Amino acid sequence: MASGLVEKVSAFCRSPSRFLFGTSSEVFLAELLRELRDDRANYTVKVLLLSPLCEYPALLCPSDSVGEETALELMSIFTQSPPKFVQFRSQLLVALTCVLTCSSDVSGRLRAFPDFLDLLLQLAQDTSDLHGDAAPRSLRATACDCLREMEALYPGLLSQRLELLGGLRHQETSRLHQAYAGLQALVLRNAVYQLTQEKEAGAARLRALLGGNESVECEADQNAGPASGKDSAPLSSVILGPMGTVPTLHTGPDCKELRSALSSLLEESYLFTPLSQAALLYRLTEVVAMVPAIPPTIFRAQLLRLLGTSEVTLLHTTLLMKSAFTDSLFSSEDEAFLFKRLVVLSQHPLLSTPEKLFYMDCILHFPENRPISCGDSDEALPVLLTPRLASALLPVVFNDSATLLSRFNLLSLVYLEAGEEEDGRGLEYLYEHLTSLLRIVESGGRRENVVTFFRAAFLFLFHFHHVERYCDNLSQQLCQLYLQHTRFAPHLINLADRTQEKLPDSSWALGLLKALQRVISETPISQTTLPDLRWHLKVLTRAAEEGEISQHGTLRFLSGIIPPSSSSLSSSGDWRLGNGILGVCRRLLVHPSLESMFIPLADILQHVAGHYGDTDIRDHARLYYTLLTTLSREKLATVLAHHAEGGQQVKKRTLSCLMTEGEGLTSILTIHETEVAIIRLIEADCEQLEAEDLVQDEAERGEPVLETYRAQFSSAAFASQVTLKFLLTHTETRDARFDQLFSIRLHFSLTDDHYSELQDLSVPCLFRERPPPVVTLTLKPREPYPSSLHVSAIFTTQDGLTWHTTLPDIRVCFQQIFLPLPAPPSWGRAGRQAVFAGLWEEMSSETGECASSLFCCQLEEKALSALVEKHFLPFLVSDPSHKDEFRALLFLPPQSHVLLKISSEEDAVHFRLATDNWELLPHINDYLLKITAS
Amino acid sequence: MSLRALWIISHEKGEHASIRFSRRFATVELRAKRLSGSSYVAVPEDDCFLQLLLTELGLSGSKQAFVAQRDDCLYRPRSPALELHITAPVKGTLWPVLAISQAHLTLACLPLVDASPGQRPPLSSLLSESQGLSFLAGLQTFLLAPGSKQDGEGLVSRLALLPSVLLQVCPLGTPLELPLTGTLAMPSPITSAGIQKQPAWRTGLYRGRAVVNVSVVETVRSMQYGNRSRQDLWDVYGTVACKCEVEGVLPNVTVTLSLPPNGSPLQDILVHPCVTSLDSSVLTASSVEHWDGSAFSGPYKFPFSPPLEPFILCSYTSQVPVPPILGSYQLKEEESQLHVSVVLKLHESVKNSFEYCDAHLPFYNRDQMGVVEVKVSSGQLDVSKEKNLLVWALGQKFPKTREVTMEGKILFSGPEPGPSEPLCTGLTAYIKLYFKVPDTTLSGCSVDQHSVQVYSSAKPRIVTSRELHSKDYWIWNSTAFSLPHNHKHKSPP
Repeated sequence: MASGLVEKVSAFCRSPSRFLFGTSSEVFLAELLRELRDDRANYTVKVLLLSPLCEYPALLCPSDSVGEETALELMSIFTQSPPKFVQFRSQLLVALTCVLTCSSDVSGRLRAFPDFLDLLLQLAQDTSDLHGDAAPRSLRATACDCLREMEALYPGLLSQRLELLGGLRHQETSRLHQAYAGLQALVLRNAVYQLTQEKEAGAARLRALLGGNESVECEADQNAGPASGKDSAPLSSVILGPMGTVPTLHTGPDCKELRSALSSLLEESYLFTPLSQAALLYRLTEVVAMVPAIPPTIFRAQLLRLLGTSEVTLLHTTLLMKSAFTDSLFSSEDEAFLFKRLVVLSQHPLLSTPEKLFYMDCILHFPENRPISCGDSDEALPVLLTPRLASALLPVVFNDSATLLSRFNLLSLVYLEAGEEEDGRGLEYLYEHLTSLLRIVESGGRRENVVTFFRAAFLFLFHFHHVERYCDNLSQQLCQLYLQHTRFAPHLINLADRTQEKLPDSSWALGLLKALQRVISETPISQTTLPDLRWHLKVLTRAAEEGEISQHGTLRFLSGIIPPSSSSLSSSGDWRLGNGILGVCRRLLVHPSLESMFIPLADILQHVAGHYGDTDIRDHARLYYTLLTTLSREKLATVLAHHAEGGQQVKKRTLSCLMTEGEGLTSILTIHETEVAIIRLIEADCEQLEAEDLVQDEAERGEPVLETYRAQFSSAAFASQVTLKFLLTHTETRDARFDQLFSIRLHFSLTDDHYSELQDLSVPCLFRERPPPVVTLTLKPREPYPSSLHVSAIFTTQDGLTWHTTLPDIRVCFQQIFLPLPAPPSWGRAGRQAVFAGLWEEMSSETGECASSLFCCQLEEKALSALVEKHFLPFLVSDPSHKDEFRALLFLPPQSHVLLKISSEEDAVHFRLATDNWELLPHINDYLLKITAS
Repeated sequence: MSLRALWIISHEKGEHASIRFSRRFATVELRAKRLSGSSYVAVPEDDCFLQLLLTELGLSGSKQAFVAQRDDCLYRPRSPALELHITAPVKGTLWPVLAISQAHLTLACLPLVDASPGQRPPLSSLLSESQGLSFLAGLQTFLLAPGSKQDGEGLVSRLALLPSVLLQVCPLGTPLELPLTGTLAMPSPITSAGIQKQPAWRTGLYRGRAVVNVSVVETVRSMQYGNRSRQDLWDVYGTVACKCEVEGVLPNVTVTLSLPPNGSPLQDILVHPCVTSLDSSVLTASSVEHWDGSAFSGPYKFPFSPPLEPFILCSYTSQVPVPPILGSYQLKEEESQLHVSVVLKLHESVKNSFEYCDAHLPFYNRDQMGVVEVKVSSGQLDVSKEKNLLVWALGQKFPKTREVTMEGKILFSGPEPGPSEPLCTGLTAYIKLYFKVPDTTLSGCSVDQHSVQVYSSAKPRIVTSRELHSKDYWIWNSTAFSLPHNHKHKSPP
């Protein structure tokens, strides 16, 4: 039981959506709670069982009422669990916090909320655990963390408890004082923030909060204030606000209480772990930023210790203090020192790469005392970053890619700022460095080296595209590189695309494409291999997109490769190669200088149409040839118009361009996989099987009814199928692409061997706004047991793409396999009753597979009639008006029977069972349990 | 300052990737939802996240040469904070996903951005960034800490501990401390310590005789080109590791580092957070600006209250005037043979007493070595099993002249091609030196036993040690034309 549940828990956490398609959240939640309640269960396992509630409370408790019930249930489990299971109890508190806060759809609170809050406060004050069993994890610390999280979610929730929290922290000498301090600092910050939002608030209110009498105000506040749950969204960082909008609280110079609270927290900050210490210092920074009466110099004593630290998070806090207080805490020497420190740290041999990269980012966003530019969004170089200082961060080939690029970017900015365009040694260094990277790529660098080089090249171009001597040289070097390694064609095309996109004024990309076209057309065909040729055609296609590039070189190259005499390449009839050639031709057909290329292009097309080794290519070439020679230029342009990507795909796939759009072709020929389930099958509310109106038997039959009945089964197809109806609908996932689906082909696969293989089903279309189509599934059981089926579907969307998707599994429940007695249609009730009696007698003997059993439960007479009416009416053999004993016969294909005699006895309702397949007993038992329980 | 989710992923160079552990923090997620309003992007399920992350890290589809999504040349900072582009169920960008990798393990987390919706604040303004980085690094240390068991098993058992560890260090998504490594993964019970407050990072109380162990370990790196157009480079950095077993809730210990007269000052000093106070002069010297000769040069006093576990008290860098071993490496191609000539000189200021000293001469982009006719003036020469590497073990001492040489010819006539390396084409080749010298430092930095002060009743036992070892110590062939770029470009352009 438990181990099965543990597996379920891990399946759930891996993919809740997939898991919940197979079952419902209610069932799963009920299962979890049942096991958690079980005293005998192992507490280590129970801790694991809480994780779904901690991670996905909103999924498991989708409504307030479920959340409420679950919370109450968990609270009672908490009260009953023995105190020694500290870990379980701690995890339970965490789960409760999650359920109580996340299951409610709005920010309103559940009714159990105040009780839980009281419990937490009580636990936080309970110091008895010190003297009892010394546990590694104190429940108190967890309670504090839960309180802190609740305060973060509902700011102001605990502002009336500030004095209490301060007192608790003060008394605590074990290392738990850190937990209180974290809580106190957050509550203090939220309280001060709230005061800044109140009109009349001032020193007096602040004093009242810090030393105030909790009980009285608390009561009042719970109804009116933030604690009532309205309008208490979590606060974003106070000092992150848009420039200069730190909310302030004017208190006058007198705020002794706050000052002493702050100093006492600061004094102890050294005792906290770096993570908690940084968080605490940050909260206090926010408080001081909001209260101008407290001078930022209150932090002064901590500063030197923080500046020397090796902990990234502590130094970061210092930087954030700098950003909040600028010159009121940091003199210009301090600033210069801190900045130098950052440069040191961003290349310190003992720090990890992510840390160093983080410090580089801090350099680019250094909060200067007197910033020159005000734009806070873009990276603006701090004035302090001189080329001399920055030289410590020069990129080198031994850097990892991220560091290398980050330094390359930084140094580019520095040299750009320093006006190094002409004759700068720094720029020269960067270009040399780029060349070194190119050398590595040239001599067979790994994929990562290649990508890094192209990124560095882009950065260089982006910053220095106006420095011609370097950029021209780079073009040349890239052409050389391309000739040696044609497989870099996609990288080069990508580089051209990106520079064109990001630098619309620069003609560098055009120059590169022109140069590439030239080197390709100058390459002797005899030295070209087939893979080279494919890449060449790709590059030429891209170059042909540029109206400003003369295409004569391309034409020369094409006419060079097509005559079969010159090479065996095109006569081989390689289909992909043919498409490559046609791709270039297609671009040429819409090129502005088409007129000047008319004859050579027509020659090429005619040649391909006549001699190419592949029929398909010949056909397309002929089509292009016809288009070229018969259509006017305008018409040609319209026919081949290069539609923008997106919704136009269908139109784009008109005859001619289908084969030539390399990338587009793959996308239309590929079956795409949806990322989540987008359609599903839900059980149709099938109309109840009608109890047949039976003609009264004309007379008692002479013949032996059982034999006649059994004779029917000699035909294998007789009564061997069960029909289930489903509605095919969209899931909740909304994606406009999938609103209209066509030609849906559903494929079912079995999860066990109880059923025969299923046929695929087709559904013509599914539109989100129309009523869902009904899908009829015919099952042929081998054994009549419940099962589940995997379902997948292939369909087409409106844009012409084909998709494959997995649907949630469908369950075949036990009761869905029930059929009424398949008696000959001419029989009336008496015949059926006779079969029932005959079978009952046989089965009661309990020979072979036969078995009988008794199931009892408490039911009122009325309820029993209702139950029979609801669940057994189609299967009744006895007259429904005979209420002292109901007889029902469930037929389960292919050849199993379950017979039921249901009667009210003195003490209980008895379901007497007989079956010719004893393995059905557990299923029927489950079924009866289920229907009698509801 | 909180995390929305955490993932631990194992993979073998991008292949066979799987999520070994993941945790979502529901309440933080709720905060994220409320803070970002309509721009909220939910954390995707594990499978989806894994795919997106691998693509962004450039680890997916290793067989394909160019994948637009992965290899686009457009520069954007990808590390340490990544952007993941989610397409379903709704389009959106998940940012900032922090990821750190070591060996086969990648750890990732998604910090909460506590800024007003709409604007994307710079990374450096989010405290949750550095918190996330620290936390991930701590988790990584915990998961990969050397244990008695084999690597794989150690990881499995540590992953199994993770739920209970997280309950302690980060129960609701806000990291409070780092998991403890070492043998006891669980801290000792919480005890009240009397009047004085116990530091949260001191996980228990030590009882017994006070023992303080301080060791200074220096590492030297070098890039030697033997070429006038290119400056040789070297640098030295050191760490001071401590293990203090001292009684008391908040014991006081002071360690003093001292330099010899005329020693160049220790630079870029970083200290452990347990150091209680610092003199500002200790921090003044830095490697990024030129030393004017007047800088403070010790003694460096570090008063601190030690944690129970071993820790790095401080680290520093130093500029020493000469590299400890100066090398010259010359290769000449003669017909089908390679003529090798190596000279290594040990500087006179360095103690001539090594624990080991090995020179490795790898050869790339060539066939395996066939005939090796090489003589060494000292030490022992071996050809590796793969026949692409010469290992020259110099032993414990250089000869009296402090100079050793290697001279000879190698014929690359082996049956199979050796490994390839894009950096080392043509005659570009290097020697890599591995050495360790006990009881010495290059900077001269030392800790005198008597300078360690422990304020406790009993007389403490104090052990100090020093050692120097090499890392990335390269000597490049000076006859090659295409040398790789400078390791560290000290002279400003």
